Amino acid sequence: MSGSASVPPFAPGAPALRGSPGGPEGSIYDLGYRNYDGPRLGRTHAIRALFVHTLKVCYGIGRGGRAKLAPFILLAFATIPAVVAVGALALIRQVGGGQIPEEASPVRHDTYYGIVATLVALFCAVQAPETLGRDQRHHLLSVYFARALRRTDYALARFAGIAAAVLVFVLLPQLIIFFGLVLSAEDVAAEFGREARFLPGIFGQAIVLSGVLGGISAAVSAYTPRRVYATTAIIVLIAVTPLVSAVLIELGAISLATLLVLLSPADILAATNAWWFDSRPESTAIFLTDLPLEAFLAAAAVITAACAAILVRRYERIAA
Amino acid sequence: MALIVLDALTKRYPGVTALDDLTLEIEPGIVGLVGANGAGKSTLIKLLLGLLAPTSGRATIFDLDVRTRGTEIRQFVGYMPEHDALPPDTSATDFVSHMAEISGLPRPAARERTAEVLRHVGLYEERYRAMGGYSTGMKQRVKLAQAIVHDPRLLLLDEPTNGLDPAGRDEMLELVRRTGTEFGMTVVVASHLLGEIERVCNYLVAIEAGKLLRAARLDTFTEQTGVLAVEVEDRADELASALVLHGLDARAVGRVVLVALEDDRPYDLVRDAVAALGLPLIRLEQRRHRLEDLFADAEPGETAA
Repeated sequence: MSGSASVPPFAPGAPALRGSPGGPEGSIYDLGYRNYDGPRLGRTHAIRALFVHTLKVCYGIGRGGRAKLAPFILLAFATIPAVVAVGALALIRQVGGGQIPEEASPVRHDTYYGIVATLVALFCAVQAPETLGRDQRHHLLSVYFARALRRTDYALARFAGIAAAVLVFVLLPQLIIFFGLVLSAEDVAAEFGREARFLPGIFGQAIVLSGVLGGISAAVSAYTPRRVYATTAIIVLIAVTPLVSAVLIELGAISLATLLVLLSPADILAATNAWWFDSRPESTAIFLTDLPLEAFLAAAAVITAACAAILVRRYERIAA
Repeated sequence: MALIVLDALTKRYPGVTALDDLTLEIEPGIVGLVGANGAGKSTLIKLLLGLLAPTSGRATIFDLDVRTRGTEIRQFVGYMPEHDALPPDTSATDFVSHMAEISGLPRPAARERTAEVLRHVGLYEERYRAMGGYSTGMKQRVKLAQAIVHDPRLLLLDEPTNGLDPAGRDEMLELVRRTGTEFGMTVVVASHLLGEIERVCNYLVAIEAGKLLRAARLDTFTEQTGVLAVEVEDRADELASALVLHGLDARAVGRVVLVALEDDRPYDLVRDAVAALGLPLIRLEQRRHRLEDLFADAEPGETAA
């Protein structure tokens, strides 16, 4: 009776007799429950599914119109210069502007990462907290960890998904330039042969960039369910470090500046871009610290790995 | 063979012992896990899922240790958390099928099972809408659906009737009963409401302050003599006196007349007395005496929230 006392007097005693009025419960009953005898693919499948899901969440796919707004506006801004440059070049070729060297265009493979750097950083700063924060905000971690996954799997699959989203973000405009140039040429095969030398740089720099920026933004986002904090922290990390190193160089504290430049994502990415495309780095800090470009490549790898480790550690300990 | 075996399972937090040396075997069936808030019900469920690590002791499910074989076990376990666990910007269909994939189901199977399971829990057109606009009842249904979409062998439900109105509670309990009987899953239902849980369970585990209070099969109680509760709209006193005149042990408590039930004789007498007085009868309910005894050691009122 102790329990019955809590049931309000108007609740029916026999729940089985009460269906939702006019509801189709009878028909559900008739269909009967079928057990699942098909394959259970376990952990690897779960990891793959989570990776693909992360990539989609980053672009707001499957989440209604408003979630697509930020990523697609940013992607459009990052793509427009490429489209305009390719269009202009194709037009010049059409009207027979002769052999105008592609180097005359300000929008080229080697300069493109510099042009869209801010947009990529913004994309990371907005979408990584969005993706990781929502799982914490809506208490989704417990339903994930209660499935055929380990916490580490979750951390790495989400990281890889965010990095892949960044990869798509930076590769799309580069490939537009690439195919735009190749396909608008009179001799497509010859143009492809000339342009193909940029391919390792395009992909190499995109991978380095998605590892470093994706890693930093994911690692920061994992620590708070609040998007605002994470976004601010990521922007500060990316935008403020090069300023500080520049100031340190002004003050003559070269050794300290060297260390900071090797930790600054913006400087690292400028240096690796120069390495991949064999051009001059845009950051003066890199010149003054007098480091070989390979050092920045190593720094990028270390930062990516460190971010993955931070993520794994964070999700090992987080309460679910 | 027991499905779940707990061996001296203990979970301590700084300053608090959430589970204290719990040893227990749980057989297939519908198992009610009762206890007051903070008794350790959620902690036990989280230990079984590997969401928490035990301080000491051991727990096995399907004969596999939850600490080392977690991912294998969890392919066959469903979990409905107590708290809200749904992304508001996603539709029920997308969410449940994603969760099915994370449980290891291939994508086509995940889609198919999602449609079926959402129908079973009673979600129709609204399953394509974002879940942010769902009522509490619908949210609870989706939470149940994501827990059973991969057809688990063991289902762990943490306070499934939380936040529901009486009609919603009845529907949820009926769903739980069907999941355990028709769907053939072993169900562990944690609740602080004994009155609710006893309606669907065939096994009851009572814990208090992290300790096992009592564990017993419920059907051993159904044969026991008990009390017949007769609820009428008004004039309960008159009904009680009429029944006493017929030699029954009856007394009125508010609008309810409680009649001692030694054999089947009172049923006819109650029917005749109600008819003779022309009373609007609201319900007749047999209450089990012995169930309360389970909590004889517990603080009175603590189990009855």
